[in-house]
Amino acid sequence: MEKKTVVTEKVPLQTLLEEDGILRSPALAPLVTFPLEVVVPEVRHQTPAVGQRATRPDSRLHGLGQTRYIDDMYFPGMLFARIKRAGIASAHIKSIDTSEAEAMPGVIAVITGRDVPCNSFGPSLKDQPVLADTRVFHAGDGVAAVAAISEQIATDALDKIKVEYEPLTPVLDPLESLKLETPGVHAPSANIYGSKVIKKGDVAKGFAESDYIFEGHFRTQMVEHVPLEPHATIAMWDANGRVSIYSTLGRITLGRADVARTLGIPMSRIRIIATIVGGNFGGKNEITTEPVLALLSKKTGRPVKEVFTRSEEFIASTTRHPLIMDYKTGVTKQGKILARQIRLVLDGGAYCSWSETTLGKACILSAGPYNIENLHAEAFVVYTNKTMTGAMRGFGAPQVCFAYESHMDDIATALGIDPLEIRLLNAFEEGSISPTGQMLQSVVVKESLLRAAERFGWNTDGKASTNGNAQGNTKSNGNAITAGKGNGVAKQLPAHEQATHGPAAHEPAVR
Amino acid sequence: MVNVSIKVNGEMRTASVPPETTLLRLLRDNFNLTGAKLGCDVGDCGACTVIVDGLPVNSCLMLANQVDGREVLTIEGLATTDKLHPLQKKFEEFGSLQCGFCGPGIIMSAKALLDENPAPTVMQIRDALGGNLCRCTGYAKMIEAIQAVANGSIEPVASKSA
Amino acid sequence: MRPFEVYAAKDSNHAVALLAQHTATSKVKVIAGGTDLLADLKFSAHSPDVIVDISRVEDLKGLKITDEGLNIGALVTHSQIMRSPIIQEMFPALVDAAHSIGAVQTRNLGTLGGNLVTGVPSMDSGPTLIALDALVNIIGSTGRRQLPLIDFFLGPRKTVLKPDELLAEIIIPRQNLGKPTHFLKFGLRKGQALALVNVAASIWIDWDKNVFVAPRIALGAVAPKVIRAPKAEAYLEGRTVTPEAMAEAGRIASTDARPITDFRASAEYRRDLVAVLTKRALEAAYALGQSKR
Repeated sequence: MEKKTVVTEKVPLQTLLEEDGILRSPALAPLVTFPLEVVVPEVRHQTPAVGQRATRPDSRLHGLGQTRYIDDMYFPGMLFARIKRAGIASAHIKSIDTSEAEAMPGVIAVITGRDVPCNSFGPSLKDQPVLADTRVFHAGDGVAAVAAISEQIATDALDKIKVEYEPLTPVLDPLESLKLETPGVHAPSANIYGSKVIKKGDVAKGFAESDYIFEGHFRTQMVEHVPLEPHATIAMWDANGRVSIYSTLGRITLGRADVARTLGIPMSRIRIIATIVGGNFGGKNEITTEPVLALLSKKTGRPVKEVFTRSEEFIASTTRHPLIMDYKTGVTKQGKILARQIRLVLDGGAYCSWSETTLGKACILSAGPYNIENLHAEAFVVYTNKTMTGAMRGFGAPQVCFAYESHMDDIATALGIDPLEIRLLNAFEEGSISPTGQMLQSVVVKESLLRAAERFGWNTDGKASTNGNAQGNTKSNGNAITAGKGNGVAKQLPAHEQATHGPAAHEPAVR
Repeated sequence: MVNVSIKVNGEMRTASVPPETTLLRLLRDNFNLTGAKLGCDVGDCGACTVIVDGLPVNSCLMLANQVDGREVLTIEGLATTDKLHPLQKKFEEFGSLQCGFCGPGIIMSAKALLDENPAPTVMQIRDALGGNLCRCTGYAKMIEAIQAVANGSIEPVASKSA
Repeated sequence: MRPFEVYAAKDSNHAVALLAQHTATSKVKVIAGGTDLLADLKFSAHSPDVIVDISRVEDLKGLKITDEGLNIGALVTHSQIMRSPIIQEMFPALVDAAHSIGAVQTRNLGTLGGNLVTGVPSMDSGPTLIALDALVNIIGSTGRRQLPLIDFFLGPRKTVLKPDELLAEIIIPRQNLGKPTHFLKFGLRKGQALALVNVAASIWIDWDKNVFVAPRIALGAVAPKVIRAPKAEAYLEGRTVTPEAMAEAGRIASTDARPITDFRASAEYRRDLVAVLTKRALEAAYALGQSKR
């Protein structure tokens, strides 16, 4: 982006609104100094669209049942594919015998990892085989694929494929995986395949000055996206050497590059058609079996379709990272946070997928929306022989939110402070500096908290009133107050969150 | 092979299918009615919901043969060429459907509910949708839309301010 | 699903004949509502060769009061139980139990008999019927036999049913018609969840003395099959009705339970649930009795 001399004079918001009452008020050009300063309309005055109900353009077709998802499509001569899953967490593949399956009536083609021109892919690290050929890294790895005239025949054929394994001891615990003496999942590569450290101030000094030091240990579990539409693909290889792939893929450009790499053909010969996706949530951000389907189509000369079974969806697609989170926080008697030390260990599963993105975001957000002068946050992501973890709604933000807010409640309880008070005492405000050194603007954490507290009837004694709930729900909300955020991806985020994508973040803060 | 004759959306349809064919497969593969979706194939997600003899059922859990001679209503049978079904209309107005994959099943469940109980409470609506999963979590707007059809009084925010 | 043959039975005699004919030579399964069977077959490598479809057998669909008591045909669906005026009036607990099964769609398909023959310990139909001393009629090529429902179950997914037999009828004996009963289920969510624990309590009250008479407590998901809580029942028999007595019965019932720890809950948690749910079920059954007095 070209640097320009900067207009420092702010146009009054009211003028802009009067000039154009419908459109979003334009932001002005960036300032010379960093952090970027943008004229942002006051909160809740941004655009008249806020508060309006939006109607989706595709909604009518959905309601009529006329939306064409991949499983609703059929092409003449189409075959159905199924993939044999390893069912073993870690092993050497000694041999794969597909002859019996190939001899079955109705089976048109069988392929294994050896038929894949370049048997590795991945959205960041290329550590994932299309079909495992020599080594199985997790139980959901595909080892062979069958194309047959019906789904049932393809499924039956999987049982006829004989795979001989030499089982290896799997690495299942991320903390074990962290240790140097643990055998590498992808030896000779180390098990730690991503890390991030954020330092601010001096934690040792902060802890020394603190009246109390609290430690908290938090774990979250693996979560599957469970899109209602399972992963599905139709591939059609044509006589010109071009392949058309209908895919439930959210990022087709990226997918095209990965497919080109694995098939060893130029991107110009690959057409990926993104259909309407029946739920993504981050689970369909990368290719899975598209190259396999393309190769089966090439081998048979016919369109080939594959739809994941629900169990494949759980074992062979990406999931949310389980996090092991250690928090240590030094506070004054009044509850002001003076120092915080954090260690995050992300269970990356068998392959990298979007782990680096998740790691970065989890680490940046791990301190919470609080002013902490002395901070040391470190995060590691490790390989284990489990279902790979990748992108899912929030990329690590929900996990750390659970930890820092629970930790905050624990501290408040121990100090006898109202959970709301302790948050108001520490929360970001206009001009606060984020852990990564960015000055924050349009910060409304405290206002939001106060308004939320008012809306659901938070009492000063730290308990939600039983009759304050708008729905008339008589169950107490307990300590259900949180200043953090649990969701949101990439660019369009609440203000305090946008600003965290500062110079230390992997995505440039240019907008 | 078994021969099945079913009245689907008011029209007699016949097919000869293998005995292990489910109603869902019959509708999708033989009758080209792909509105009912295969989400889990074991009766958990409700994406395959259709109405058989007035009752909503998981079409993945019925053999085609079991429906022989009975009457089936699918999502394709709700709208006419010139008019959406009120549920379809309100689901669109309220933005109740996001990815849309659960939509046909949910609308069929809602239709069966309203046929039996024209003025359901929120709890009754929730109970009726208990067998339909939506991972985009659009339940609140679906419930609003169903209420709107039931009593015709709740209008979408957009039309209120217009 | 793998290929199989389907034979549709016209009536129960035909169904029994079909079973007798095919069990000799093939692996046979019976389909009624199909909610369990088809879900199993889709994942199973061992498919039956023959399926006998009894979903159109009208003589197993009755629900009526007879000299024996309340006879419920095995093919009565969970929805039909919920809608039956007789059951709503006499046994609201059975309505609650039926309501706690699956979701609307599966309740419209699934049958009472089908739920019982699965023999899973967490079944939601079992406890209430066992608390009401229900009997079952079994028909087969060798004839008809009757036994208490509690003896119908042998263990997890095991029942006394022979391959050529059908569960035909469930009977709540005449002396228990209208017996105040309450069913409670605790699952991890409200819809479509398996029970961590389910409990049914059934009691008569001698209103002159205000004491428990013929108390029955049945527990699900805490043993290899649905069980009764004999120690808790013995404790209550003839005892004056007090909140303390009901709480104590809950505590004793938790020692009658033999729960296991699995990924859904620990054994300790399940024991706690038994104590609390038993107490609540007794309280509710007592309140029901009072309201009908």
